[in-house]
Amino acid sequence: MKRLSLLILFFFLSSCQTLPVIHSPSSSAGEKSWACPSPFLKEKYRLVHAIEARMAGNQRSSVIGITLADPSSRSVSCAIMTAEGMVLFEAESVQGTLRVNRALPPFDSESFAKNMIEDIELIFFQPPGNLRSKGYLADGSAACRYLEEDGKWIDVTENQSDGIQTKRYSSSGALERIISFNKRTKNIYQRIELQADETFDYSLLLNLIEAQPVKTKMFKRK
Amino acid sequence: MKSYRHLPVFICILVGFFFIFANLSHARENDLEKLRRESAKIRTLQADFVQKKFMKILSRPLISEGCFYYSAPDSLRWEYFKPLKSIVIAHQNKTKRYMYSEGKMVEDKMGGAQAMKIVLNEIAGWMSGKFDRNPAFRATVSQKTNTFITLTPVGEGMSGVIEKIEITLSPQAGVVQAVKIFEGPGNFTQIDFKNVKVNTPINQSVFQDVQ
Repeated sequence: MKRLSLLILFFFLSSCQTLPVIHSPSSSAGEKSWACPSPFLKEKYRLVHAIEARMAGNQRSSVIGITLADPSSRSVSCAIMTAEGMVLFEAESVQGTLRVNRALPPFDSESFAKNMIEDIELIFFQPPGNLRSKGYLADGSAACRYLEEDGKWIDVTENQSDGIQTKRYSSSGALERIISFNKRTKNIYQRIELQADETFDYSLLLNLIEAQPVKTKMFKRK
Repeated sequence: MKSYRHLPVFICILVGFFFIFANLSHARENDLEKLRRESAKIRTLQADFVQKKFMKILSRPLISEGCFYYSAPDSLRWEYFKPLKSIVIAHQNKTKRYMYSEGKMVEDKMGGAQAMKIVLNEIAGWMSGKFDRNPAFRATVSQKTNTFITLTPVGEGMSGVIEKIEITLSPQAGVVQAVKIFEGPGNFTQIDFKNVKVNTPINQSVFQDVQ
């Protein structure tokens, strides 16, 4: 019984990880003028990416992903299709309400749709939570930390070598997602890497096919 | 893999129906029996294609380009050059799917290669003239300026996957001009074929080399 208790304590402690420490800028003036890294959309955009998915055992597959994202309303429409043009998944999320229009197995689970929309929001939208700290990480990266309503943490960091990264941590500090943007490319969404730490880890490599701002039509009254 | 269980059917449609009608004769006959007789004469086929994907989420169609080769009885290469490089090769009873990764073509093991064998069975059937044997679709033929074939799913098998397929044959030589696959409202794929060559010799390396 004592051994079991120790085992449970070990797993409990190992699951409670700590977030990286963010050191505040040296002066209050520096803190005021501090600008958080922002790889996020500023206007409504339509993006088409070639997506390479890597699963356990280095299994690879490729699909085409289409995203229509509006940061002002935080609405997302998305689709996944094969090179042959077969649509495997299509969904939209408007003000937090998710609607799946088409989902072929195994993309037909509710958790897949929810996770996919969350991943898209994490990539393209400014975190909606409160900015809790800003400053530098130990490696010199500029960092801003947000606390989400559900207790999760989002760090957005930037340094010369790695470019911009968004990391999401669970409320207990376990790293769940790493999204890396390549700053050297003309379009920051040209090449995006997403690493997911889940029960079944996976990674996605997104290469931009086309990006197009979506202008909202204005109608003049006669 | 379960994720792509409908993919073989989709590729069948892309490839297979092209085979069926590629060698339609100059004659005015457009009935299924005539097509069945003519399709039995095909030994090789090759063509380039432009694929346009229309969806509500897209303001303009997503355009893909590629080519395909077929050699009787069961060798097939269906290749996309852009925007997403990929190849499906079926040869000597083996079917593999390849994707472009890190500067080279690598096998896409999640693409349902085993399931792709279904494609070959279908094609083999069509090549021997049994193109209307697939119980999943009902074929109707109509004649205007061009000949149109409409395929509609029968039963639940394709429910929610494909609404219908329209195939347009050009007036001359009965060559397939275009295929339209309707998946849902505002969602369809149009494939226009060009540079079609029938019964022209094809180097067998086409079905072995992926680079």
